[in-house]
Amino acid sequence: MRTKKPESVNCQPNMTPVMDMVFNLLIFFILTSQFAKLEIEEVTLPPSTASVNKDYTQYKNIVINVVNPDNPHIVIFGQTMTLDEVTDVLKDRKEHAQPGETMNVILRADAEVPYEEVARAMLAAGRAQIMGWWITTEMFDPEKQAKKAQ
Amino acid sequence: MRVKRPGVPPKMQPPMTPMIDTTFNLLIFFLLTPSFSMTEGYLTTNLPTTSGPVAGKQQIDVQRIKIELLDEGPKGERVSIVLNDNQNLGDNFDALRSALVNLRNQGLPPNHPVLLSPTMACRHKYVVKGFDQAVAAGFSEIHFAVPYQ
Repeated sequence: MRTKKPESVNCQPNMTPVMDMVFNLLIFFILTSQFAKLEIEEVTLPPSTASVNKDYTQYKNIVINVVNPDNPHIVIFGQTMTLDEVTDVLKDRKEHAQPGETMNVILRADAEVPYEEVARAMLAAGRAQIMGWWITTEMFDPEKQAKKAQ
Repeated sequence: MRVKRPGVPPKMQPPMTPMIDTTFNLLIFFLLTPSFSMTEGYLTTNLPTTSGPVAGKQQIDVQRIKIELLDEGPKGERVSIVLNDNQNLGDNFDALRSALVNLRNQGLPPNHPVLLSPTMACRHKYVVKGFDQAVAAGFSEIHFAVPYQ
């Protein structure tokens, strides 16, 4: 009697949809991180025990960076700006906000910059009639720090 | 004469394995990098606006708690704290917190206004530290003194 040889079945997962997903995710992360980099400058944030992680996505935000303690200046969208220019940018952003959208200023100031520059940014926000003011800090938990030190 | 038939053209496919490896590495990198910002937090406050019916006028609230932060040293590398114009606390932020807690214990509500008034050369880190002490003492309405120009 002739015995039929079992045919070997090629069992490989379908990689095409996996690769599609991976590429989509990759494109998403590349684009979003690029947008974030446009607004945020490299600063040493001051530590704070009172700061909290908040959801900023429900506001129309503008990030004001105060950089370089030796020669402090305000940077928005990668450009150094004067007080008047900051005021104009904030006013423009507020004018172009959608109805019902709340404007919010997120300050990222270096720990060592003098208050003068921060006050100038505050003044610009006040002139543009923007009241929401968030100060970015490094969240500091003394208990966790003590544990780390041990 | 025998003519050689053209055979099946060889499959020309680029090598996908290194490309997929690179893609996965990039994906892992971009997935992990946003987690660095998880250590950042926000202190929220409201600013006074400098136009409208009260523009240019300094609103004087005699009831508010005033924390002055005076810069010390040639480049403002140190700070001196003065509470309510009369209590000089040196650079002791713990003493500031204790004094604010005492004020809270005397019956001041959490929404009692607190004004942080740093000098122009005072470093930003001290302003944040002063803000921290007010929050730690239980105050929620903390404002900044902004110069009018």
